[in-house]
Amino acid sequence: MSDSQLALTLLFTPLVSAALIGVFFRKQPAIAKALSLVAATAIALLAGKLIFGTPDFTDKMEWLTIGPLTIHLGFLLDPLSKLLLAVVAIVGLLVHVFSLGYMKSEENQARFFGCLSLFMFSMIGLTLADDLIMLFIFWELVGLSSFLLINFYFEKPAAVAASKKAFIVNRIGDFGFLLGIILAYWAFDTITLADIAVKIGVEPTVIATSIALLIFCGAVGKSGQLPLHVWLPDAMEGPTPVSALIHAATMVAAGIFLLCRVALLMTGDALTVILWIGVATALFAGFTALGQRDLKRILAYSTISQLGFMVAAFALGTLVALKSGADVTIAGITGVTSGVVAAMFHLTTHAFFKALLFLGSGSILHGTHHEGDIYRLGGLAKKMPVTFITFTVGTAALVGFPLLAGFFSKDAILVLAYQYSPVVFGLLLLGAFLTAFYMTRLWTTTFLGKGRSEGADHAHESGPLILVPLIVLAIGSVLGGFAWFYPEALRAVPEAAHQLIKGEGHTPAMIGGILTFVLGSSLGFLLYRPGSSSDFLQTRLPVVYQLFEKRLYIDTFYDWYVAKVQQRFALLLNYIDLIVISGIAVRGTAMVAGLFGLAARAMHTGSLHTYVYWFLAGAVILWAIATGVL
Amino acid sequence: MNLPFDPLLASILVPLAAALLLLAPMPDRLGKAIALVGFLVPALLGLHTWWHFNAHLDAATGYAFMQPQAYDTGLTSLGISLKLGLNGISMPLFMMAGVVGLAAGLYAIQSKAERPRLYLGLLLVMQAGLMGVFASIDIFFFYFFHEFALIATFIMVGVWGGRDRGYAAMKMTIYLTLGAMLSLLGFILIYTKSGAESFDLIALREEIALHGLAGTVQNYAFGLLMFGLGILVSLFPFHTWAPLGYGAAPSSVSMLHAGVLKKFGLYGLVQIALPLLPEGALAWSPALLWLALGNIVIIGLIAIAQRDLKQMVGYGSVMHVGYGFLGVACLSTLGAGGVVLFMVAHGLSVSLLFLLSTSVYHRTGTFDMDDMGGLVKKAPVLAAFFLTAVLASIGLPGPGLLNFWGELTIFMAVYDHAGWMVVPALLGVVISAIYGLRAMGKVFYGQPSAAFLKHQETNPVTDLRWSERVPALVLILTLVGFGVWPRALTEPLNRTLEEVYPAVEVVKTTTPTVAQTAALPAAGLR
Repeated sequence: MSDSQLALTLLFTPLVSAALIGVFFRKQPAIAKALSLVAATAIALLAGKLIFGTPDFTDKMEWLTIGPLTIHLGFLLDPLSKLLLAVVAIVGLLVHVFSLGYMKSEENQARFFGCLSLFMFSMIGLTLADDLIMLFIFWELVGLSSFLLINFYFEKPAAVAASKKAFIVNRIGDFGFLLGIILAYWAFDTITLADIAVKIGVEPTVIATSIALLIFCGAVGKSGQLPLHVWLPDAMEGPTPVSALIHAATMVAAGIFLLCRVALLMTGDALTVILWIGVATALFAGFTALGQRDLKRILAYSTISQLGFMVAAFALGTLVALKSGADVTIAGITGVTSGVVAAMFHLTTHAFFKALLFLGSGSILHGTHHEGDIYRLGGLAKKMPVTFITFTVGTAALVGFPLLAGFFSKDAILVLAYQYSPVVFGLLLLGAFLTAFYMTRLWTTTFLGKGRSEGADHAHESGPLILVPLIVLAIGSVLGGFAWFYPEALRAVPEAAHQLIKGEGHTPAMIGGILTFVLGSSLGFLLYRPGSSSDFLQTRLPVVYQLFEKRLYIDTFYDWYVAKVQQRFALLLNYIDLIVISGIAVRGTAMVAGLFGLAARAMHTGSLHTYVYWFLAGAVILWAIATGVL
Repeated sequence: MNLPFDPLLASILVPLAAALLLLAPMPDRLGKAIALVGFLVPALLGLHTWWHFNAHLDAATGYAFMQPQAYDTGLTSLGISLKLGLNGISMPLFMMAGVVGLAAGLYAIQSKAERPRLYLGLLLVMQAGLMGVFASIDIFFFYFFHEFALIATFIMVGVWGGRDRGYAAMKMTIYLTLGAMLSLLGFILIYTKSGAESFDLIALREEIALHGLAGTVQNYAFGLLMFGLGILVSLFPFHTWAPLGYGAAPSSVSMLHAGVLKKFGLYGLVQIALPLLPEGALAWSPALLWLALGNIVIIGLIAIAQRDLKQMVGYGSVMHVGYGFLGVACLSTLGAGGVVLFMVAHGLSVSLLFLLSTSVYHRTGTFDMDDMGGLVKKAPVLAAFFLTAVLASIGLPGPGLLNFWGELTIFMAVYDHAGWMVVPALLGVVISAIYGLRAMGKVFYGQPSAAFLKHQETNPVTDLRWSERVPALVLILTLVGFGVWPRALTEPLNRTLEEVYPAVEVVKTTTPTVAQTAALPAAGLR
């Protein structure tokens, strides 16, 4: 089998599974589950073969040509896509196994697993895409699968609203993305990623900056950056395995992947904007997490915040190089900057520990009959020991506990920030501090003290199907920070990241990282006492708390805009259309109509056949006149 | 494969013969069987012409399936003869007309229309006209077949229509007759001024290539065609007949009109007006761009405000034809190619939406979306099909891959031709997602409304029946198939465009730019 055929087989395996489930096994959940699991296993094996047994390659075939435009269908396999492919395959398989246990008493399981397969297809296509158009196609398809899964409980109005919001907000981002692709096509004459990766020296013109920022719009939508982050917390209405796979580990990371793919199209001005959006998002989401009580929502804001870190890291890499006048690309991997390395490394480690945290919260929900309010949970440490230990590992990795996965990947970002500017360094340290602070709040309230609801009191540990994925992910969260943990074929990015960590400013970055972790978690322990049934901020600083709880009123503003501005404007236009255009403009023609009407009434006999005969007679007479018979 | 008969003539005559047969007294069952044959034959012939297009292509003329001698209709003295043939522009539409006709026919056969034989007979007349429109090389017959189908449309809306059918039929008749008359004037102007003394498009093209056509004539002729054909395709602000008409028309008629017959106008612009009148087109391009944006942005927003499902589909369809006009206004191979792909995709997806909306109506007893809700629980297959249709119509790659190709090519062409104007055009991507998903939520998701619950007490809801699924599947499979394999259409299309369109692009590079002409709003009549 050639490399391309292997890639094609990998791509279409989950699609075949989804199609079979959709067409034949909608009412046989057992077969659907088996099929989907077989597909996920096959994906892992085929992806392994592709990652370990295949050198980097790119291959394409023509899809369509119109005039000067030719669009190809092709694959690009390189260190970046291999790394993301590994993440997708591993987390995907674990989530499938987890779902077998988690969803076992749900209705419509066939639909769930069918959609999961559809998602795997879309995400693999996105990973292997070789040009921006193909990337965009699968980008839209992951959006569709996400829509279908958020909307899984489609009788719940909240789930329906959340899915609609996710789709439309993402489409707003895609509006920019598509515009960016069109502009890039005419400006650079290429949309092929392999060409972009060697296209060094894009002139920093207005058009180049616009292209960079427009493509970034797509990432803003998918990766939940300000101001399009609003869909991600609402997306938690979907089943928890979906939150882990799609809304934490893979799909939301696709925005980061997109940025890394077009790293060399970026200009300094564009990167400055991107940097500040990333930093602002990291801080905003960190603060907002402090005002949430729902387990999954807190984790969702944490995801947004971490994605902000990745976006900032991406921008920092090139900005540092531009500032010092050095070459923006690093040696070793084609078209890759140090920002790409830092962002992709954090993406990888984050995929492990955030998927772990979400699956852990799924285990909690499963064990407590869906009690998601952290102030109604409590005391779960003893009742759910495996979940507790793995969740703790995930939390430690996220907050940057020394030598765990998140410690190293965050360190790489902090090093870059230190090299760029003290302000950004300080702000990102604040972000890291917030991470430790809100995660400690979550952890103490959920696991320590005593249960505060029936669900928490009767909590029970989950079964092996749920626990095994947790344990596997916990191992990844512990060891994922070391380069040696990764097999040879995937080691390029982690190794480069460790090179980065050893660079200028590694001591302040490491000290800063450890200090924020220590300060953040100690303050968390101090302020959020185990067993307390009320929130420290809520009682002491209610105004601030409310600001966080209401997510700085951004969602409120959007809701107001949609209901009061957009819908009213649409109604007004509808009214104008009905009254002015059809009314007044057509009144003039109504006189003509009246005349027609009089004539028609004379012929109006009520019989249909008559109309048909009139029509035929008229046609015959016309023809006769034209041919000269009459 | 060589058929022993002319497939193009057969695709017109078979439905016509079936229609005439249906006038004879016979049991309804036999009538339906005859109608089925009448719809099946054009669809199969449409696919046949697509599959064997290259084998039958005549390199000299660029047309396939052309008979050596045109059929004599006794009008040769006027330069009119029934000359049939397909090029890369008309073949995709001819095939699409056959497929949509089959779906509309199948849906009509299972519907419980009163006087079914007459209903099916008129629908077959419409089908014959549609096949004729795209098979005609002669402009007179191109026009004639359109009128032929249109008259059947008016009668069907007036007799079998729903609410407001009298008003709707009258309004449609006035608008469409006016549009048809204006475009006829345009065609006659080309006929008289070209000196070809023929309505044969190939002869006209050769004559004009040789002797040219004066700029003023081109301006007048293109203006007449743009507004005449524009009215027929519901160009903003001449669109108000469309949502009203589609709302009132029986579903198979909406499918055939919105899906296929309406494409007459865009097709006429791409196949006839642009290649023959490039200078006129260039002068009118800025105006057309602005009006097309009116379709996309204004009508798109109006679609968001609709409560009536069928009206919403109607407005959505009007919104999307704006993309077609944009592609035309670009005067380029890329734009024209995009329009053809878009027309095929739009024809398939909009007829699918009309079909499924009617199936929704049969289950909810209303088109008012506020009185629906939660339908997915009772009719999951209908919901899945409807979602597919919505996603296709909003151009989401996957179900709507073909729509996406059309839109993408058009957007590419718009940026090349008119720069920033692509930005409002792209807004359609967001707007259509808003009304599409809003409808999905109101009709299928959430909890059933009180009115719907009450309706269910007396009318138990069943899922999509196979007699409804089959026509829907015909449309979905064609749409997805050509979306995944667009080369099957773009190869012949591109070949024709590269023969016909270089002249159009040359005009663009030798005459003042759009930016300059845009400063003169009345540029068309200088």
